[in-house]
Amino acid sequence: MIRTGRLPALLLLPAVLAGCSALGARPAWEQPPPKVQEGPVVPAERLHRTTLENGLEVLVLEDHRLPRLALGIVLRRGVASESVEQAGLASYTAELLQRGAGPRDAPAFARAVDDLGAGFDASADWDSISIGVAGLSRDEPALVDLLADAVLRPRFEPGEAARVRSEQQAGLEQAKDEPETLLSRAFARTLYPGQRYGLPSDGTPESVARFDAAAARAFHATYFVPSNAILYAVGDVSNEEFLEAARAAFGGWRGGAPPAAPPLAPTPTPEARRVVIVDRPDLGQSQIVVGHEGMRRSEPARHAALLLADVLGGGGFSSRLMERVRSEAGLTYSIGAGFAMRREGGPFSVATFTRVPETRRVIDLILAELERAKTEPPTPAELGEAKTRAAGGFVLGLETSQAIASALIALDVEGLPPDSLDVYRSRIVQITPEQVAAAAEARLHPERAAIVVVGPASVLVPELEGLGEIEVVKP
Amino acid sequence: MPPAAGRSPALRVGRRFEPALRRIAASLLLLSALGARPARATLDDPASRVRTTTLANGMTVLTLVDSTTPVVSLQIWVKAGSRDETRYTGIAHLFEHMMFKGSTNLPPERHAQLLEARGGRVNAFTTNDVTAYFEDLPPDALPLALALEAERFANLDISEKTLASERQVVLEERRLRTEDDPQGRLLEQLFATTFIAHPYRWPVIGWRSDVEAVGVPQCRAFFDTYYAPNDLVMVIVGSFDEADALRRVQESFGKMKPAAEIPRNPTQEPAQRGERRAVVHFDVRAPVVAAAWHAPKAGDPDAPALEVLGEILSSGRSSRLYERLVYREQLALAAAGGYWDLASAGLFYAYVAVRPGVSPDAAERSLLAEVERLRREEVGADELAKAKKQIEVGIVSGLTTTHGLASRFAGETILYGRIRPLEERLAELEAVTAADVERVAKTHLAPEGRNVVRLQREGDASAGAAPPRGRKAP
Repeated sequence: MIRTGRLPALLLLPAVLAGCSALGARPAWEQPPPKVQEGPVVPAERLHRTTLENGLEVLVLEDHRLPRLALGIVLRRGVASESVEQAGLASYTAELLQRGAGPRDAPAFARAVDDLGAGFDASADWDSISIGVAGLSRDEPALVDLLADAVLRPRFEPGEAARVRSEQQAGLEQAKDEPETLLSRAFARTLYPGQRYGLPSDGTPESVARFDAAAARAFHATYFVPSNAILYAVGDVSNEEFLEAARAAFGGWRGGAPPAAPPLAPTPTPEARRVVIVDRPDLGQSQIVVGHEGMRRSEPARHAALLLADVLGGGGFSSRLMERVRSEAGLTYSIGAGFAMRREGGPFSVATFTRVPETRRVIDLILAELERAKTEPPTPAELGEAKTRAAGGFVLGLETSQAIASALIALDVEGLPPDSLDVYRSRIVQITPEQVAAAAEARLHPERAAIVVVGPASVLVPELEGLGEIEVVKP
Repeated sequence: MPPAAGRSPALRVGRRFEPALRRIAASLLLLSALGARPARATLDDPASRVRTTTLANGMTVLTLVDSTTPVVSLQIWVKAGSRDETRYTGIAHLFEHMMFKGSTNLPPERHAQLLEARGGRVNAFTTNDVTAYFEDLPPDALPLALALEAERFANLDISEKTLASERQVVLEERRLRTEDDPQGRLLEQLFATTFIAHPYRWPVIGWRSDVEAVGVPQCRAFFDTYYAPNDLVMVIVGSFDEADALRRVQESFGKMKPAAEIPRNPTQEPAQRGERRAVVHFDVRAPVVAAAWHAPKAGDPDAPALEVLGEILSSGRSSRLYERLVYREQLALAAAGGYWDLASAGLFYAYVAVRPGVSPDAAERSLLAEVERLRREEVGADELAKAKKQIEVGIVSGLTTTHGLASRFAGETILYGRIRPLEERLAELEAVTAADVERVAKTHLAPEGRNVVRLQREGDASAGAAPPRGRKAP
């Protein structure tokens, strides 16, 4: 690779050992997997954390292998902090940051980013807002300057505010052309009626219509405060030099504490299953989701739940649902199950798609597998593979320093201990079959799941009869 | 969004159209006049450290040891894609799926499951030109992966039963990515309109009727014909014991028999004489308009200038298409374009995702006018410099992961017969002048060589009368 420095290798030792081992008589696939390795994901000398006097936390992760640098600000509040009436305001405000900031109007800002060959991104997630710029380490001063302008000195010009409002509305409309988007929107609406989680993160035509420069300015004044922010720098950067630049650019940033996140109303737990069909008469393939309320990111049972979801419908070919619905029956190209981990409880869902006439068969298979997870919880063999899969996948997922920094920042945003990554693999290894069985019992509710399907209602209504009360909606 | 398991054998229809913004979202940059400081990391090209081994049967093995990463990527690229198909379109991709359906010693899907149980990412993709299998792994799983690859190449089992079921999987993939997807529908029609003779005219995933008709003997024959060792490039990048890996490869893949001759379709695309237009009806709120021109194949001397041209047109929010169609005129939600360098013929394309409620006629006029402007006016020095820098950034962004590096080494070896040093690529890029950009635009983007495809609701607007011909402009 293009790397000038050398880093202590992670997990290199087992590679060498495996390489030296004699080729046994038994094929490689009959030999047991090696023990899961444990250890810190990043050497202490590369990771630096500092809190500036104004409360701004700074995280620097040095990696001098490539002459590149990624900088950003992450705010510990996101879409979930919006009221229903404000839905989409975090995204709207984030987009406006690069539509004129500091000395530059919108076209000049775009030009400044492109002249550096840089990437600039500002977006809002459920629990955070991220503003990032990535470029060459040699351009560090210019990159810091662009980031500071966008975060601290957005112009919020009325003309740009109107333009972004219109784009956001058009985007909401265009997204209706995508069957998967129709599915996720209808699923959220069904699970969280009247709540912020029930609406798209970009808001609704009604909420967005109310946005203007003043609304964005007020949102910015409330949430863009140093005590609510993490400043990060990852790559070919020196901690001392960066702290100097950070103090100069962000040291004068002032503001009080952000308001506490509004408590989310508890997710309703209906008595019975219900079916929602989003009518798209032109589709030959149904998009399907089956699900219900899930869990918070900080719940102690999350590791057991993750392993359960992995056995049930994790990635790749190694899940019960994949085996049953794709590999054996050829009914889909892809199927997955999982808990969407948010600060407050995100949904549990199983999602897939199939040709319209097979929709009922696929839903029945999903419901049967959810039931079976309770009556026949993961076997020790299934659980063993799920653990090594999770531990190995964890290492792959943290291949780049940027991925490590993102994961560390996510811990902070979600209020989890900073050593969570370092102990993740041992937590996973320690999970018992009983804990997974308990998670299945407590966390899977096929008998009262919401079933949402996007496809031709005229065919689907008779097909899905008997699953629950059916509601047909227009896109 | 509910999760969708994404790690199943995937189809990659070359590069999919993507908004320029998304393409640069994760980008880096390289070189700058601003504030040069000492003690910064410098760029060197890992390609210079790649070891090339050619087995006696003609198989190429590329290895690069990098002990600073906790990952190893093993990839096997086959020099066969949809362009090599005869009689049954889609067989290259359908066959790629069958490589996961079991062998003499292992049941269907076990290959992937065993590596996933180590945390590995296992997948494959097919393009117009190649089929590639990859495994990104914790280093200790490499010997297992090599054993599993050897097993399926030596002992693949293709049965009527697994083919019948996997055919349905592929048809679901076709529905997902093409039949029910506006962008997929448009792309399929754009290739079918632009190429009337060359094998690029059919979709990588194949026409439905062909996928439905492929049988076990055809799959077997495809494997026997194209999966010969002299048609394979294996690459291993990351933390691993090089000598041990090469020994394992020699012991297994070294036994494969080379093919005397690997047949290729001879058809070349005849010169286009006049604009072609097509309309696809689809129930969309946001119509899409795309245009494509024939361009030289990969490796042509005009390629660097065409790359720069594409960048000027569509990279970043200051690009010509974004600035005009998305920002200034507010006709579009996204607009992009660029040079698409396939192995035996190239394309230059431009497309616009029209805003709901906006006339596709207006969007098409602006789109084509911006392309035409590149043929009439020389680009400025600052715009040229910006585009070059953006491309350099794109080159470097491919170097951050073992997977990306391995893909570059294998892809370039197949496309160019060698790994192109970064220095050479950057020098070619640096040499591109504004006059070159104007010349390639004039040569390759003429209105009479244009293919325009629209996707819109039935009854929406007209099919679009041809817009004013750019040639009439001064």
